[in-house]
Amino acid sequence: MAYFARRIGFFLLTLWGAVTLNFLIPRLSGGDPAQAILQRIAGKEARVDPAQLAAVRAMLGVPDEPLWRQYLDYLGNMATGNFGVSYTYFPYSVSEVIGEAVPWTIVLVGVTLVLSFVIGTLLGTWVAWRRGTTFDSVLTVTSAFVGTLPFFWIALVLIYVFAITLGWLPPSGGYSGLMEPAPTAAFVADAWPYFILPAAAIMITGPIGWLLGMRNNMVQSLGEDFARFGRAKGLSNRRLAIAYGARVAILPNVTGFALALGGLIGGTVLVEQTFNYPGTGRLLLEAVSNKDYPLMQTIFLFIAVGVLVANLVADVLYGVLDPRARRKEAA
Amino acid sequence: MHARPRRTRARLAAGAVAAALALTACTGGGGGGGGQGSGAPGDRLTDEGRVSHLVLGDFSGQTNPKANYNPFSATALGPLWTIYDQLYVINTYDCTEEPQLATGYEWTSPTELRITTREGVTWNDGEPFTARDVAFTFTLLRDNPALDTRGVAPGLVSAEATSDTEVVLTFEQPSYSRSGMYLQTLVVAEHVWADVEDPVTFTAEDAAVGTGAFTVKSFNPQRFTVERNPDSWRADTVVVDELWFEKADAGGQVDQLKLARGEYDHNSMYVPDIEDTYVAKDPEHHHYWFPSGSPISLFMNLEKAPFDDVEFRRAISVGLDRVALTEDAGSGYVEVASQTLLVLPGQADWLDPTIPDEGVLPYDPDAADAALTAAGYALDDAGRRLGTDGEPLRFSFITPQGWSDWTAAANSLKEDFDALGIAVTVETPEFPTLEQDRLVGNFDMTFGVRAGQCSMFQNYDEPLGSANTAPIGERATTNEVRWSDAHTDDLLARLAGTPDADEQKPIVHQLQQVMVDQVPFIPLWYGGKWFEFTTKNVTGWPSAEDPHAGPDNQHLIFTRLTPVTG
Repeated sequence: MAYFARRIGFFLLTLWGAVTLNFLIPRLSGGDPAQAILQRIAGKEARVDPAQLAAVRAMLGVPDEPLWRQYLDYLGNMATGNFGVSYTYFPYSVSEVIGEAVPWTIVLVGVTLVLSFVIGTLLGTWVAWRRGTTFDSVLTVTSAFVGTLPFFWIALVLIYVFAITLGWLPPSGGYSGLMEPAPTAAFVADAWPYFILPAAAIMITGPIGWLLGMRNNMVQSLGEDFARFGRAKGLSNRRLAIAYGARVAILPNVTGFALALGGLIGGTVLVEQTFNYPGTGRLLLEAVSNKDYPLMQTIFLFIAVGVLVANLVADVLYGVLDPRARRKEAA
Repeated sequence: MHARPRRTRARLAAGAVAAALALTACTGGGGGGGGQGSGAPGDRLTDEGRVSHLVLGDFSGQTNPKANYNPFSATALGPLWTIYDQLYVINTYDCTEEPQLATGYEWTSPTELRITTREGVTWNDGEPFTARDVAFTFTLLRDNPALDTRGVAPGLVSAEATSDTEVVLTFEQPSYSRSGMYLQTLVVAEHVWADVEDPVTFTAEDAAVGTGAFTVKSFNPQRFTVERNPDSWRADTVVVDELWFEKADAGGQVDQLKLARGEYDHNSMYVPDIEDTYVAKDPEHHHYWFPSGSPISLFMNLEKAPFDDVEFRRAISVGLDRVALTEDAGSGYVEVASQTLLVLPGQADWLDPTIPDEGVLPYDPDAADAALTAAGYALDDAGRRLGTDGEPLRFSFITPQGWSDWTAAANSLKEDFDALGIAVTVETPEFPTLEQDRLVGNFDMTFGVRAGQCSMFQNYDEPLGSANTAPIGERATTNEVRWSDAHTDDLLARLAGTPDADEQKPIVHQLQQVMVDQVPFIPLWYGGKWFEFTTKNVTGWPSAEDPHAGPDNQHLIFTRLTPVTG
């Protein structure tokens, strides 16, 4: 029990640290949100009217209380889920703005993450089973090579070929705008072409980590004593690979998957920015560049909580699945 | 809408896309998403002789816009001119006044403005528009500082309707110089807004009631559609049934691709190498007009030595190669600015004829060198320019991160300073940090944008009036260089108290003399106002040949179009 108590205590402490940093970092970086917003609205070479600045300050109610007071208010608000009003999308609330972006990210990142995991793990298992063959070498080397390609280069090629040269798919955005976003079949039909390129860009490199991790773990576990014992017992190669190799080797991948799920809300800033995809990643980037503290803090909070909870779940799972982890900590 | 920000995406990914899209310029692009751009002239003509729709660009509201039809909200959507009207429109190109909801106005005393409103106008919900709506609008702005983005409230005592067609504004002090601002106020309906609990957070998303030429048809973050308002007081001048505002990447590479393909009937965005990337795609229909906007100036902190020395500033003002700078920084689209602070040729009427070359200063590094040496800033043996304290002069120049054209301009200036033996380091902090530093006077040199408006008082008062500055460390409202001069203040006070334009001129001439003689700061180049249009579906857009309206005068532009009949 001490193991789990320690995990939960650690979780709470880290959460508090993350939440506090989340409060401090944007404020220490300086700059005036009213000014940032105004310049975006006015355009660079337009002169900024001081009246406009005063009005934006009055509108946002940019805080001038002492920092500790703001901190207490902030903790209270975070705890009660009152995330405030977005500066960028005033007077709409942070919850509303994030709520609109979250489904896009969950669909894009969720689908590609699950697919990457399944494909990567299966392929990893397969090549580990057939280790040493030409197929193994080709796939492993190719994966290692493709994995080094910069994401933006992949995105570039995809956009250039499929959106511009062939004109099959739209180069950017999430939907056409000809109809209102809604969970209907008609809207999904409208939006799905916009989903393909960003998803493809993620999927090209997505499974590689899982594949290589799975292959290496499994090659290692197949070399362990218990596997050798299984072989001596006369088990078939297939049974050996799945029940002895894969079952053990998949453990780190499962943990990794839990962590990736936890970080899902952060989206993939790069993908969403490149494809101008209306998810939380792009929103986060925008919040940061606009000094939109309420929006920025809330997204960071979700990411931090997501990662920490996933970590906790992974730790607890590990404790349950692998008694050695518990015993090691107790010692 | 103002000139769109021309912001370089510093992010690699976006750069990659940029490269991909740039390649299409060579291949000419094919089909692709959307693609409403194709079609022959006259295709969109309706049975009524109007054009079914025009496709326009971004409607602001950031990347994922929300419906905000509150015209006074700083986060409102851009094209609210479609829904609401002003009392007057001031043509930003030639500064003439066009009556809209008002038909006349008169200063009955320096503190009293009487406005006659138009008869027979109705709101788009059928209620009649009267002078009471105008009075209500001004009172609303006076009582809600958060809505007063134009600065209407300061000095406004009351706004009262004396009849259905007359409203009287009274002010604390003479306010002639601000009449343009009052006249350009968008007017909202009293019968709607009077019942609104908090007008600051009111978005009117359910019903945007205005008198404008268009009404809201539909909205989603990707597309904002307005349709012709058949009951508008000038419906007979509107020949377009719908306007489609489309969101892409706010003037980024995707927008440029759509523009090149002719998918936009009109857009206002920066486009590199426009002759090749836009005009050449369809020379018959693709056109552009980039008239000059507010000047971008070199600000030197007048509270610091040697910038407090007028001889130093005068020497520097002829030591800057403005022509090279516009080529480096403006893709050749922008013009060299006049030291008078006027935007020429649009404001040529105001120019002091005794100022040589319309106030455009020459580039004469030898004269600058001689003047600096004569003023006590000699070169040492190593070719470094020394300050009066004997130390080599070295300054930092701050310009916002990611504004690539400004960074290029700063580097161009750095070379000019190098040639004079002055060491300049270009630094690029983030914009909000820089803006804060500029306002509190924490800088050596930087760029600033002032003037360029039709109000001459505003143009000179904002950067030069001592009331608008503050000690170093405190936030100045608009006088960031910290010019503080009794003569200038006196001229500004006289200008503010003079209603007649002809009587204002000699005073404005003297202010130009201050700019030229004292060099409080140095205007370098005029910011471009971007305006691209196609003549496939409609004609009559303002252009260099026919500059009948400024690029940002949408109220005028969209009531002066003519359908193409094919």
